Amino acid sequence: MVETRSRNGWVIWLSLVLALLLSVAPMPAFLEAGRPLWLALFLTYWALALPHRVGMVAAWLFGLFADVLYGSLLGQNALVLMLTTFFVLTLHQRLRLFPLWQQSLVLLVLFGIPQLVQLWLFALAGNRPPEALQFLYPVLISALLWPWVHTLLRGLRVRLQVN
Amino acid sequence: MGDAVIKPLFVKGPSLGVRLLVLTVLSVSLMVVDARFDTLKPLRSQIGLLATPLYWLADLPTRLWQDMTQSISSRSELLAENEKLKAEALLLQRRLQKLAALTEQNVRLRELLNSAELVDEQVLVSELIGVDPNPFTQRVIIDKGSKDGVSLGMPVLDARGLMGQVVEVMPYSARVLLLTDATHGIPVQVNRNGLRAIANGTGNPGLIELRHVADTADIKEGDLLVSSGLGQRFPAGYPVAVVKEVVRDSGQPFAIVRAEPTAALSRSRYLLLVFSDQRTPEQRATDSAEAQEAADRDAAARQEAAAPPPAVAPAPAAPAATGENRNGRN
Repeated sequence: MVETRSRNGWVIWLSLVLALLLSVAPMPAFLEAGRPLWLALFLTYWALALPHRVGMVAAWLFGLFADVLYGSLLGQNALVLMLTTFFVLTLHQRLRLFPLWQQSLVLLVLFGIPQLVQLWLFALAGNRPPEALQFLYPVLISALLWPWVHTLLRGLRVRLQVN
Repeated sequence: MGDAVIKPLFVKGPSLGVRLLVLTVLSVSLMVVDARFDTLKPLRSQIGLLATPLYWLADLPTRLWQDMTQSISSRSELLAENEKLKAEALLLQRRLQKLAALTEQNVRLRELLNSAELVDEQVLVSELIGVDPNPFTQRVIIDKGSKDGVSLGMPVLDARGLMGQVVEVMPYSARVLLLTDATHGIPVQVNRNGLRAIANGTGNPGLIELRHVADTADIKEGDLLVSSGLGQRFPAGYPVAVVKEVVRDSGQPFAIVRAEPTAALSRSRYLLLVFSDQRTPEQRATDSAEAQEAADRDAAARQEAAAPPPAVAPAPAAPAATGENRNGRN
């Protein structure tokens, strides 16, 4: 078996920390409802590009940290992000062949299902769930952002030869 | 070179399905434990140590922007603000003079009732460092934590009224649930006539609702709601909200009362944490009675020492002693 040496792994973890930062950055109130799922977007990119580095366990651990950060039940975001990564890894071979716009469409579903789970858990934890389909706005925005995130992170990965 | 880039496609640990199962079970059990028991609280608070700098960093651009605008705001603006603040200080001082007399009276009445001497609560100033990213909850993060003496359930207020309470304590930061969160309720009373009610959050920033107010209750638009102190979580007498509308629909069992919080929930940057009295009313009464007794004894002893011939009978000496003691304290 060929030995693969990991290079510049810190880029991955730094970008994920940046995603965490973006997910709590202050925003105007009217944009708050559509805050992109930064962590899910970044995790999806790394899981697609380097599945041997970033997998479900990494997603779960970052989700756990996100739970502490957001003050939700410990394990809630962990479960949701782990689920997203699971879908991405399951569809990995197919997703990589798709053009970017088609990937965006698939991600609409891949982010949507965990977001539904998120909504259940939110209601189970004793909160009043939103009335309309508001919780799907972030999914839509994230899918629209995907081509840009993909291009940006890909540029970063190629330039720094992250492996 | 070519070999080095080939990824070992078939070297995998447990399959995806197994991982999914294990991690799901782990997540669910973590959630159940976190929701039902307190065992994970220390762990949370320790990971929270890492979360505080992240919130601080996320808030940095806003703070830098504010500092910048402050440093380049023009001289005339500053002068105008200074004028305004002076006028405000004057007004407040006038009110304070009146307050001093009222406080005095309050202390005296409380002494008469033999109840707690507590009038001024101890407060701690803290700064907002983050807002909950979830749009369906109303929570904020402040920069004081358990190291500063913050504890669970502590009331939080700003210059204009009550804001909420602490729901999670980390070493250097704490999470505050605002009045307007859908899961928050606070016992209030109408300042005008003392009518009691529970004010629940609606999830809408800037709106709270009074629950189970009778259709015939004397409550109207513009009434100030203050905390009633029942439930012993919030100190009594702080302004909470102003009634915005009262809908009396004869088809509904209760009147619908909507109110606007007086605190600037989405604008305040500096918050006050109130160290409220954790004792029960009975304990407080016992404590104050004991304190009173001790003071009486002390004064009596002093009087005895001061006046060599014990001409006065011991029975009337006690009230006289309290009077003297009070004068001494004031």
